[in-house]
Amino acid sequence: MSADGQMTAGQRRGVGVRALEVHHAYNGREVLSGLDLEIRPGETMVIVGGSGEGKSVLLRLIAGLERASRGTVEIDGMDIGDYIATPPDEKPFQMSMVFQSSALLGSLSVAENVMLRMREHRTHSPAEAAAVCNRALLQVEMLEARDKLPSELSGGMKKRVAIARALAVDPEIVLYDEPTAELDPILTEQMAGLIKSIHERSGITQVLVSHELALAYAVADRIALLAEGHIVEIGSPQQIRGSEHERTRRFVKAAEF
Amino acid sequence: MSSSETEQNGALARLGAALLVNLEILGAAVSLVGTIWTSPRRIWRDRDKIAVELVRIGNDTLPIGFLVSFFIGMVLVIQTADQLSNYSQEVLGSVVGLSMTKELGPVMIAFLVAGRVGSAITAQLGSMSIYDELNALRTMDIDPVAYLVMPRTVAMTLALPVLVLYADAIGILGGVVAVRIDPSITISSAQFWNNLTTWLNMSDILVGCIKGLVFGLAIAVISCTFGLRTRGGTEEVAASTTSAVVWGFVMIIVLDYFIVRAALILQ
Repeated sequence: MSADGQMTAGQRRGVGVRALEVHHAYNGREVLSGLDLEIRPGETMVIVGGSGEGKSVLLRLIAGLERASRGTVEIDGMDIGDYIATPPDEKPFQMSMVFQSSALLGSLSVAENVMLRMREHRTHSPAEAAAVCNRALLQVEMLEARDKLPSELSGGMKKRVAIARALAVDPEIVLYDEPTAELDPILTEQMAGLIKSIHERSGITQVLVSHELALAYAVADRIALLAEGHIVEIGSPQQIRGSEHERTRRFVKAAEF
Repeated sequence: MSSSETEQNGALARLGAALLVNLEILGAAVSLVGTIWTSPRRIWRDRDKIAVELVRIGNDTLPIGFLVSFFIGMVLVIQTADQLSNYSQEVLGSVVGLSMTKELGPVMIAFLVAGRVGSAITAQLGSMSIYDELNALRTMDIDPVAYLVMPRTVAMTLALPVLVLYADAIGILGGVVAVRIDPSITISSAQFWNNLTTWLNMSDILVGCIKGLVFGLAIAVISCTFGLRTRGGTEEVAASTTSAVVWGFVMIIVLDYFIVRAALILQ
């Protein structure tokens, strides 16, 4: 790690995720029923599946925004409940999330959004926070928009800023909820390139949920298909593409259509 | 089971569910107050945010508060004068002064703030909730209550007593103007003022300010509670906003009764 706390190129230091026998009900319906999933440290895992299959719910359980009705979710061997309860300055690793809606605070400028955590927890001096912010914005090619408000940005630009905000905390794991939702094919391709470059540059663990198999093929080390409340199949993009599993074949065929 | 029994059971179930929801809201509101006031250092740290909220409350309330208070003061004068047509109008000053400071000023300005500022807070927090902005804060280890609710609540609690004094003053000014321009009023503005200053005590003004303090806290907590609880989409934001305003109005009247009762006992 460099002196300023940023990872240098080529280093791999992601954290692993393990979900065991996870059950979760949403609006009275059990969306996850005994789900098991293991994500290796430093890999980019894309969880694909149809609408309403519980992909976003699973991501929220990993993020600790919701608690599973039953079962355990661990990150780097630590129960997610314990991780959430740990004070910010004592957390053993950092986790960030990029939301489908980008979730930038509308009253703050792009730079203020990116620096928000550093400012609130006073982890950096103003000059250091500005430097980290500029680096993160540069990484997503949004430095020129640092003083703009989110309302002045397009959907694709907001997503990039949301990624910059996630990277600014120097995370070991980043969760992406439908990162290419509502983006046109060109922006989707750019987003895939950005996610790949983050992975190559930092070696952090990335977990994406998406219904777009093309994105998964482009960025994933492994792809997991979620259906009927559990992981139906998990494998490399090539394995998923050539899968003999009926449910996977149906999904791949439908996605190609 | 007969159809009337089924209907009764259904009504009871609905009543029970509504009661549970309201108790849950009350619990969330009480817990919110607890969270806000357990971090006094944060209040000092976030003084800039509190100042911004104070300015916003002032900007949203002062112009419309002026209009409403001024005309209420005028209406009070001419209505009371009409009731006193067979008696002396010399008591007009005390009637307007005491009515404004003890009751109308605090309650009216609290209604205005609940309708204008409180609804905006609920809508803003509700939108932030449905667009995952509150969750984004949580993933950054930032407590939405400390970050968003505390500055708004402190500002509202501090602003209301000042706004009550403002409404009192403008209402009395409206009364003076009515005395001067309304042809049905037979006393002079000096007589009006003399009567008002004779009967109006500092304790009356103080009770009004205490009401402002309590109303401010209640409006902020109710508005923030409904905002944070919002789930779903834009329809739910609208529903939360309406509920917050209705609950705000009801709580203002209920709390008003208890404050008046307590003040009378202390007297």
